[in-house]
Amino acid sequence: MGDAFQQVSDSMGELIESFFTTPIFGDATVGFTITTFYFLLACLIMLAVIFAYKRKMEGTLVPHGVFANGVEYLIEYIRDDVCKGTLGDTWKQHFPFLATVFLVVMFGNYVGMLPTWKAGTGTTGVTGALALMSFIYFIYVGMRKKGVFGYIKSLAPAGLAAPIAAVVWVIELFSTFLRLITLAVRLFCNMFAGHVVMGVFAIMTTTFVQPMLMQFTLENMGTGAMSILWMALLILIYVVELLVAFIQAYIFTLLSAVYVQLAEAEGH
Amino acid sequence: MNVIGYGLCVIGAALGIAIAAQGVANSMARQPEVEGRLFTLFILASAFIEALCLIGFVVSIM
Repeated sequence: MGDAFQQVSDSMGELIESFFTTPIFGDATVGFTITTFYFLLACLIMLAVIFAYKRKMEGTLVPHGVFANGVEYLIEYIRDDVCKGTLGDTWKQHFPFLATVFLVVMFGNYVGMLPTWKAGTGTTGVTGALALMSFIYFIYVGMRKKGVFGYIKSLAPAGLAAPIAAVVWVIELFSTFLRLITLAVRLFCNMFAGHVVMGVFAIMTTTFVQPMLMQFTLENMGTGAMSILWMALLILIYVVELLVAFIQAYIFTLLSAVYVQLAEAEGH
Repeated sequence: MNVIGYGLCVIGAALGIAIAAQGVANSMARQPEVEGRLFTLFILASAFIEALCLIGFVVSIM
């Protein structure tokens, strides 16, 4: 059994290596990588789902069947829970952007949950780009509402004495740029860590069952029986990851909505 | 060394989630009708705390 644990820790490096993005052509900085491919695939699946939904809803206002009802429930969930809940009166204006972000992130996450596929959001490049989009969006919204100068000034709350306002302004500016990093890193880390944990349990299952397949002795059977436990844990982690994939998409959208609301808010 | 660092990081996250869960349980007992909104809040708070923990995990194995 000690051998099996040694083998697991030996193959850890290889496992982690396999989650790093590899270029199909070009290189990892500028080029078409495997993660980009899966992200593109996720976007295509998303478009297919949306167009299928539109086709089903043609000429009717009432959704029929599991598929149409499911898509409508998802969209209404974003509308009522995220947009109306956080944004208030201006939700109609920002709903298209937030719904797009939610669907892209969610499909990107779920693509990685299929065996042998990789998560479209499993690299800092993709999550960084998504975070940058939402960053530019809420700054644009703030600047349109208050003017370029007004928005920059409104980072610090009004009604403070001049020296304190300057300090608060610098801190707020810093935290605004920190939002960009935390949005990207949170999504990436959740996807990466989830897949590493699942990978570890998958490796454990195979390593513990291997000696039993090679040589059928009583001791090896005991080791093999343990792999049932690892398998059960793998399935458990898989279910949790299915939940996490949805929650991370929800959090990404909700935080974008909160930032938009903060950019729009009159005074503090 | 990495494992020790990750262990320290988990202590913080565990405390954070424990405090969040305690608060939610207390408020639910006081006011059962806000259960739905509290649950969303709890999931959100846990996700923030968990993200710190996961950043620690990723940094420790890289």
